[in-house]
Amino acid sequence: MRWFGFGFNAFGQIHVGEKLIKGECSDAAEEVKVFSPAELDCCSCCRVKTGCHIRASWSRRAYLHLDGDSCVCLCGVSVKDSRGCQDASVSESHLTLAFSDRIESWDLQKEEKTPSWSMGITTESSGPSLNLPLVPGGYIATKPPFYRSLSPHLKAKSLALSAEHAVLLSASGAVYTWGLGSHGQLGHGGLTPEEEPRAVEALWGMPMSCVATGGWHSVCISDGGDLYVWGWNESGQLGLPSRGLRKALQQQRSQQAGATCQDARTSPAEESQEGEKNEEVFISIQAFPALLDITPSCEIRTVSCGSRHTAAVTTTGDLYTWGWGDYGQLGHQTLISSDEPQRVEFFSEQHMRVVDVVCGAWNTFAAVVKEEVA
Amino acid sequence: MRNSFHLQFNDKVESSVLEMLKRSRHQLYSDTTSASRMLNAQIILDFSWEKLNTGTWRHVDKEWRRVYSYGCLFKVAALCREEPSADEVLQALKTCDMGLLMGAAIMDNILQVIVQILQSEVRESTKEEDESEHAQVKRIKIECPHVPVIKEELAVPRIKCPSLESFNTNYLLPLKPVILEGIIDHWPALNEHPWSIEYLRSMAGCRTVPVEVGTRYTDEEWSQTLLTVNGFIDRYILNKDGAAVGYLAQHQLFDQIPELKEDIRLPDYCCLGDGDEDDITVNAWFGPGGTVSPLHQDPQQNFLAQVMGSKYIRLYSPEDTDKLYPHQSQLLHNTSQVEVENPDTERFPEFAKAPYLECVLQPGEVLFIPVQHWHYIRSLELSFSVSFWWS
Repeated sequence: MRWFGFGFNAFGQIHVGEKLIKGECSDAAEEVKVFSPAELDCCSCCRVKTGCHIRASWSRRAYLHLDGDSCVCLCGVSVKDSRGCQDASVSESHLTLAFSDRIESWDLQKEEKTPSWSMGITTESSGPSLNLPLVPGGYIATKPPFYRSLSPHLKAKSLALSAEHAVLLSASGAVYTWGLGSHGQLGHGGLTPEEEPRAVEALWGMPMSCVATGGWHSVCISDGGDLYVWGWNESGQLGLPSRGLRKALQQQRSQQAGATCQDARTSPAEESQEGEKNEEVFISIQAFPALLDITPSCEIRTVSCGSRHTAAVTTTGDLYTWGWGDYGQLGHQTLISSDEPQRVEFFSEQHMRVVDVVCGAWNTFAAVVKEEVA
Repeated sequence: MRNSFHLQFNDKVESSVLEMLKRSRHQLYSDTTSASRMLNAQIILDFSWEKLNTGTWRHVDKEWRRVYSYGCLFKVAALCREEPSADEVLQALKTCDMGLLMGAAIMDNILQVIVQILQSEVRESTKEEDESEHAQVKRIKIECPHVPVIKEELAVPRIKCPSLESFNTNYLLPLKPVILEGIIDHWPALNEHPWSIEYLRSMAGCRTVPVEVGTRYTDEEWSQTLLTVNGFIDRYILNKDGAAVGYLAQHQLFDQIPELKEDIRLPDYCCLGDGDEDDITVNAWFGPGGTVSPLHQDPQQNFLAQVMGSKYIRLYSPEDTDKLYPHQSQLLHNTSQVEVENPDTERFPEFAKAPYLECVLQPGEVLFIPVQHWHYIRSLELSFSVSFWWS
């Protein structure tokens, strides 16, 4: 299994260009915005090929090796204190490690010999393996108080957290959300916050198998491989028509054409475009889950979200991306955002089968295996 | 030179972000491509923009607004570094305005200093064009507004230049609305620099301001956008052609454009309140005929000064709130559900029984709206009002 990455690379998360190695500031735009999938630099412990997981934040990408002698490698260097960990997550400020008997949070901004926060846990040997941010009895939040309890009746199986909200998947396939809701990201039909986990009623009766959160949007996959999206669509991250996106693209085009910055003055050509589009319904906030059709029709296997984009892997090994693309995080060899799911052709062209996807805030990491020759 | 200005933030701003800020600062003094400078500035802007949109605006840490302002500063520096074109100057102006609107003051409010330099440059270069623009004046359609006839028994009382004491005793303490006449006669906005479309264009045409689009803020299609003052005038005041209603509403324009602040004065009567002069919020309300502020109440006293055009205003006492059907939601609990000039008598039967006062506010007049007094406002023609919220 190999990992490829595309998108934001100002900190060398995808690959370290020559200048960065020399310690100079990277000036070249191509080094900061990787818009075509690039294979990730090898890990110093050289175990990328034997299979590992990726965890990513805005500026960092960590390898999580779980086979045999498990550990976390950050910026190409193995984190000594991570030996034996069972799971890890990385935020902009902290690296959180889950061990069988404890959770530790290390402050990445200081070089200290001890974790800035830790907590003992007891894992049942028969119980589910650790799945951060879930821990026995609750979860680890992104800011203090770190440990938050969760009612056992929720039967939490997996949990997706963003700065503003949380989406929980229960063992029975039900979806619960809580947190701030001003962008519709809770999926209850309104914009009001929820303090406690509340079931997303619109999905009742349809068991879900996977949940993911972006900065202001939420996504889940049904057992049958259907994708449901809700929340903010200002960059097309829901895959639904986005007025903000179309306007921004129009402005970009007119700027490139050398027009002056008269944002409100629309030329006759643009006026007629707007007239046609009046029939199209634009969605800026989707407050209830909506089924997203990806064509050609396919079953979704897994999904991950960056702050304003979404990436989904199909059961047939294709990777689709949509949403904000300014940093190349959609992987379509452009810096254009898109409100329509599009396949990342790079992988199909290279006869690679995508098996997993993990998004950092502004980038995307895809795990591939070689396509079996028919 | 490299460390000529200090980048100081609290620990909410992660070291990776500080790293980007330092890279941009370094680039101010180094020989690098303009594209690279713009890129780094944009990274800072994009990251802090996400922070500014996380949580409620009130709770956004001021540090992120400062980071955003630094992003604007670095972007402006990149745009203006090498003989900027006219378009780059306008982009730089817009960037300064974004920093002033969304950011927080940095380096002694450097963005305000820069924007005024850029603005004077734009004014210089567009002076020759002004002569040909006079033709535009004729394009303002002579609006014949449907002017409501004010019933005498319902008219808001009027008084000319009352003494502080008499205003306090007869209107402020008993919280009674009144129209004050003659108290802004001395404003430059009505004398030496009479406000007009042309004057506003010359003072603020290239500045970016927030505009509300849609008939009223309780409508589903209502939204906010950012436009230059020129863009707003062109699209929503002159060439309306069926465009939706646009309103430059509730905006602290005079903080953004201090030259316009010179044309107005704080009403003396504000000193009768308990609050500090610095706590008085001054807002601009500029728009075409037909803008509507739905019936609502505010938590402070209000002097609404009319400078250009006229407005129909209706006032209801807070004692009659039970007949005004305020929205239940947190967000809109200070707003009535009733459309004042077209009430749904089936859904809101009590509304017709609520007593009210009404008026048409003309240029030169100031309406005193007591705290929590419900008010509904519709502009009858091109209008510019200035409101003073005080306690």
